[in-house]
Amino acid sequence: MNDFPGSVAETSLHRMTRRGFFESTASGLGAAALASLLGQDLYGGSGLLAAETGQLAAPPDQTPKSTHFEPRASSVIHLFMNGGPSQMDLFDPKEELTRNHGKSYFDKIAGEVENPGAAGALMRCPFKFRRHGESGIDVSELLPHLAGQVDRISLVRSMYTTNLTHEPALFIAHCGRMTPGLPSLGSWVTYGLGSENRNLPAYIVLDDPAGLPVNGVQNWQAGYLPPVYQGTRFRSTGDPVLNLAREYKESDSVVKIERDLIGILDRIHRRRRNGQPRLQARIASYELAARMQMATTDALDLSQETQATQKRYGIGDKATDSYGRRCLIARRLVERGVRFVQLFINFQIWDNHTNIGTALPSACRKTDQPSAALLEDLDQRGLLDSTLVVWGGEFGRLPIAQLPGDKNVLKAGRDHNQNAMVTWLAGGGIKRGHIHGSTDEIGLKAADQKVSVHDWHATILQQLGLHHEELYYRRNGLKERLTSVFPARVINEILA
Amino acid sequence: MSRLGAVVVAVLFGAAATSAADPTAKQLEARVRAIFKSHCLVCHSGTKAKGELTLSNRAGLVKGGESGRVISPGRPEQSSLFEHVGDGSMPPARDKRLAKADVETIRMWILRGAPFGKGGRLPTAVSQHDTYPILQLRCVVCHGGRVRNADLDLRTRESILKGGKSGPAAVAGRPGESLLLKKIHDGSMPPRRRVVEVSIKVIEPAETEKLVKWIAAGLPISAEPPSAVEVPLVNAEDRRFWAFQPPRAAALPRVNSTAGNGPIDAFLIRKLEQQGLSLSPAARRSILLRRAAFDVTGLPPTIEEIDAFLDDPDPLAWERQVDRLLASPHFGERWARFWLDLVGYSDSDGIQNADPIRRAAHRYRDYVIRSFNDDKPYDRFLTEQVAGDELADYRNAKVITQELEDNLVATGFLRFVPDATYANITGFVPDRLEVINAELEVLASTVLGLSLKCARCHSHKFDPLPQRDYYRLAAIFKGALDENDWLKPYGTSQFSSGAIGFRHMPVVSTARQKAVDEFNASLAEQAASAQLALKKRAAALRKKHIETRLAKLPEPLRADLRTMLATKAAGRNAIQKYLAEKFEATLSIDEAALKKIEPDYAKAVAATAKQTKELASQKKEQPFVRALWDRGSPSPTYVLRRGNYRTPGRKVEPGVPEVLSPAGFRLEIKPPWPGAKSTGRRLAFARWLVADEHPLTARIIVNRIWKHYFGRGIVATLDNFGKVGTRPSHPRLLDWLAVDLIGKQWRLKSIHRRILLSAAYRQSSTVTREHLRLDPENRLWSRMKLKRLDAESLRDGLLAVSGELDTRQFGTADPVTARADGLVTAVRGQRGWRRSIFLLQRRTQIATLLQNFDLPRMNPNCVDRPVSIVAPQALHLLNNKLVRELADRFAERVTREVGDGLEQQVVRVYRIGTGGRPGEEELVAATDVLRKLRNEWSLQIKDDPAAARRRALGNLCHAVMNSAAFIYLD
Repeated sequence: MNDFPGSVAETSLHRMTRRGFFESTASGLGAAALASLLGQDLYGGSGLLAAETGQLAAPPDQTPKSTHFEPRASSVIHLFMNGGPSQMDLFDPKEELTRNHGKSYFDKIAGEVENPGAAGALMRCPFKFRRHGESGIDVSELLPHLAGQVDRISLVRSMYTTNLTHEPALFIAHCGRMTPGLPSLGSWVTYGLGSENRNLPAYIVLDDPAGLPVNGVQNWQAGYLPPVYQGTRFRSTGDPVLNLAREYKESDSVVKIERDLIGILDRIHRRRRNGQPRLQARIASYELAARMQMATTDALDLSQETQATQKRYGIGDKATDSYGRRCLIARRLVERGVRFVQLFINFQIWDNHTNIGTALPSACRKTDQPSAALLEDLDQRGLLDSTLVVWGGEFGRLPIAQLPGDKNVLKAGRDHNQNAMVTWLAGGGIKRGHIHGSTDEIGLKAADQKVSVHDWHATILQQLGLHHEELYYRRNGLKERLTSVFPARVINEILA
Repeated sequence: MSRLGAVVVAVLFGAAATSAADPTAKQLEARVRAIFKSHCLVCHSGTKAKGELTLSNRAGLVKGGESGRVISPGRPEQSSLFEHVGDGSMPPARDKRLAKADVETIRMWILRGAPFGKGGRLPTAVSQHDTYPILQLRCVVCHGGRVRNADLDLRTRESILKGGKSGPAAVAGRPGESLLLKKIHDGSMPPRRRVVEVSIKVIEPAETEKLVKWIAAGLPISAEPPSAVEVPLVNAEDRRFWAFQPPRAAALPRVNSTAGNGPIDAFLIRKLEQQGLSLSPAARRSILLRRAAFDVTGLPPTIEEIDAFLDDPDPLAWERQVDRLLASPHFGERWARFWLDLVGYSDSDGIQNADPIRRAAHRYRDYVIRSFNDDKPYDRFLTEQVAGDELADYRNAKVITQELEDNLVATGFLRFVPDATYANITGFVPDRLEVINAELEVLASTVLGLSLKCARCHSHKFDPLPQRDYYRLAAIFKGALDENDWLKPYGTSQFSSGAIGFRHMPVVSTARQKAVDEFNASLAEQAASAQLALKKRAAALRKKHIETRLAKLPEPLRADLRTMLATKAAGRNAIQKYLAEKFEATLSIDEAALKKIEPDYAKAVAATAKQTKELASQKKEQPFVRALWDRGSPSPTYVLRRGNYRTPGRKVEPGVPEVLSPAGFRLEIKPPWPGAKSTGRRLAFARWLVADEHPLTARIIVNRIWKHYFGRGIVATLDNFGKVGTRPSHPRLLDWLAVDLIGKQWRLKSIHRRILLSAAYRQSSTVTREHLRLDPENRLWSRMKLKRLDAESLRDGLLAVSGELDTRQFGTADPVTARADGLVTAVRGQRGWRRSIFLLQRRTQIATLLQNFDLPRMNPNCVDRPVSIVAPQALHLLNNKLVRELADRFAERVTREVGDGLEQQVVRVYRIGTGGRPGEEELVAATDVLRKLRNEWSLQIKDDPAAARRRALGNLCHAVMNSAAFIYLD
């Protein structure tokens, strides 16, 4: 390269940028390309800014980073259950609720009910519970497949959140606070750890082809973190990544000539501008762009899987096909070293305000078999030890009935509840077949060993080897963190 | 209480149960005095007591600290003193922390009533300050100033004793007979089924207990100390920090070099010479003009502009270019964008999934553009935004001038943060406090240059910003942003409703209103006259047909029949009724029948209906401004301990950050004009903010302008001039510019001009070995920084070179559309696309191209954009269909301008795209490739050589649009 090779200045510039990139330029473009990946910020981001403004933040990139302590997991699969699954109908049986079925309760929880006009009496769970596995964990009849996996999970019955409306509650679950524009959990994780795969994004979102979840793409934003840490949407059908393929018709031969010209012009341009590493980074970003397509296509090619595997995930079955595909893709991505994979479901199937007797079974049918298959498959392939799987929504539901307009109790559902929600974690150093915490007698509030969303975030970070107070980003003179200024405690009780 | 605190309490309560020897009160007091002495008094005693807390005497213990009482006698768990020593947050030094036994001693002492000195136990005085916040929180929404159900106002002692329809709400000294308490005790108040609709929660037992105590004590009122006598928390030493001293212009330094061109260069060269460097030589004219055109207007220069400059032999040629650019209407479009980043401008509310559009937000955007274009003095610009509603009486103005309208539009400044309070269930006091906090953060990061948000919960750890400063500032804005008296963004409430919501007012300039009214009236007139014509036609036709039918009836009957038909059914006499019965059916022709027998008429009816509908659709909406205004009756402001709304501490008065004002400074607050329904708080604040002596206001804005030209601020942390911010690299230059701005009547263009005319700005961006050795990070500005086009400049530049830029300004934002796969693009208008600043800035739908090039997400605002280089940028420019099509438009334009010649085309594409001619190497490479492309295309398009040439040129244009020469500014 023409950057005054070997000069003191180069070393100084290298030190200034503190990034692997410059080493790559020394050994040629191929190496530069190898050290990078889709979405990787090859030069600046606010890291450059930080370097130039004298801030202390480390420059952003996605090369693997050292952790605060020995990690138990290297990847996360987040099965996000949009809408707020009903804890007392799935994982938290409440006999007291059955006994008090039909009793009025509203006056005790006024102010906690979004729709006071529709509030009914206490309502028992209309489904049967049974103990499963060696751990004997109670699971509702609606989740027959996950029931077979209880010995692989830690069930947390005592989680709660601080907002009972979808949008703010989703922001809390994903970003730690109820306002939009903050970095999501996946962004923090990739900011903290970088990626093991050099040709795929570190943080991949598998949203439902049928539509975006509440809050849309804001669920996987990088917020004030550099954009390199934003989640990348992979679609399970069609063109997987935005702009990855040409959107216009042109012959390959023409395109090749044009691309070559860009390369030539950029190299001439750069040769006349010594000491400008940004320009080299830009050239590398164009080369990478061209190489990502292959890696992506390969990762999403489910025909490489056996029929048996596909069947196990419910692919081909109408109810489970969509979620099954995403679960299987999630496994394939984790296998390839993708750091954080997040699965969403179209809008909010768990938001069962009415007709819980039919709506909840339908939501379960869609997700039960695929999630269970994912757990089992990961475990059998030895991937569960290094993959943390987390399941849960943005809040729980109330023990009282929510009545439809005609007040027909038979068509009742449940309204939102911020004071109790259920979630489970598996793999990545989490105890197997364990129950943590409990709710009160009717499942209204988390009671023992309460777990806040911040605790849950801190725990996920901890398993990845990150300390929630040490993982920060300097902004406006403050050390911004995922858990912000909220007290957070790792749920040590569920760690193996 | 923190989690840790809770754990400690649990542990200690457990321990207490087993402790054997109970010390006497005297012993306890002695032990506590000893603990205070060894651990606390070093900070909390004497005249400089930290946090206003004195622990050395009884009076100090009773008074408490800046956030209120620290000891609640008998209740250690409610005493912040116990909480702080228990969780280890006090004393701050790790090795000074209290031993467990000492913490337990303090707990026991408080439990026993905290005896201290003469008088023994500390008094458990209760006053209005314990109860007013509770009443505000739980009751006043329905029983207060704005709504007074049952004619009851619970805001003051007098109004409580006066009571409402059912009599006095309280009887002094007799809680048992007090209606207020009866209603609370029996659960009827606050009404359970209705609390959510007014966004309040049920009163808590501890709060009821306080009310009981206060009423039992006779509703005592404690005298409020006037804020003037508040203990100062900031001292002279704190104020000595550079940023808190007003800027003073230093004498210009002497320098050896003659390269300089004025004060900016003198200051820079001085430092460069100390390093054995000087400024770099001037950049080539074509480079310089492209740099300045993008920096000043955000658009590339045209070939004609470049040629004019290249051919201009006048020594003042550059000055002429600078003046031309600064006078361009595009200047405001470019520089407004930076301001909108600071404000957190967004055309939608966010948070809610529907992400509703703020229909009048664009007026604020237009206001900012106009203000910058008109070079409105910055002090006026800020005053309008902070307190425009208090500048002039808009309520009683006979004529609303453009200035009056602008005053109100400007206050939209503090209306842009995401807002969850649209729904009752997400509009509780803590949700509202989040919104207020975000607005204060916007204010602080934009104009105060300090990070205030720490002080919401505790005094700032590094800067001299006591907690009360946060709440004094919140009190400034409370006339408009009052968590106890909230205007929801939109929707309905029991108080008011409206299609456009509660934060808009129909106060627009009389001229605009008149134009709208006249336009709508003319539409109505057209519709009416069309209807009338139709009616006349129908009548004539009817008459014709009736006559034809009458003609078939016996002549003698006809006259009577005509009379019968002309008489309404109710008014007919017996004969007429008889006639009607017999003949009306055959004679009368209803609308349907008429249409049937007269097809032309039917067509006319349909045409008129269509026309009426069209006219109705053209009707202009009543214009609104989106504003923030003082509502005249702010609730009292209390310091919130740990930022928690349920633990109010001391009451505070409106005020400014102490460290930014001279010792003893007091804000003079009075209603802005006699009889005004406005507190005047924000106007007083604005006047203070833009006073010439203010240490930061001028520095902050000149620093920002500098940053946008030079890539880094003189103070690199643009929003933080405090101790955690970076120190200025050239403090004297910063101060010189700040003083200069004030001297130029705060006209920002004067600073722009100074910068643009400096040799520093005009220097080349070439990096030399000496630079890398002596100024590797360009901290001394030994050369110009190579800059990537920002998101808007890139998109606007692509549109400009391809001839697709529609330069019309202002008005409703242009729509975007989101494809199923998430790609968000701007919808093309009839004349192409307008500049990016006029594109809808919807939080959930940010145009993908802009986002890929670092358009920020606003939370709540963006003080400094990152500049990233990521693969999606390359993917977008390479593979996106729209970008490719723009390249074809670019190619068509070039063909039109220079014809088919290979070399001519290459040169033209280069000049339009990069501002300069291609070098020999580029020319050879590009010409060669263009020839190859023509061959390739002519194989694919066999019988149309012109089309093949066009397609080939499209590829060349696309390549240049993707090239570094296009995307970077030298």
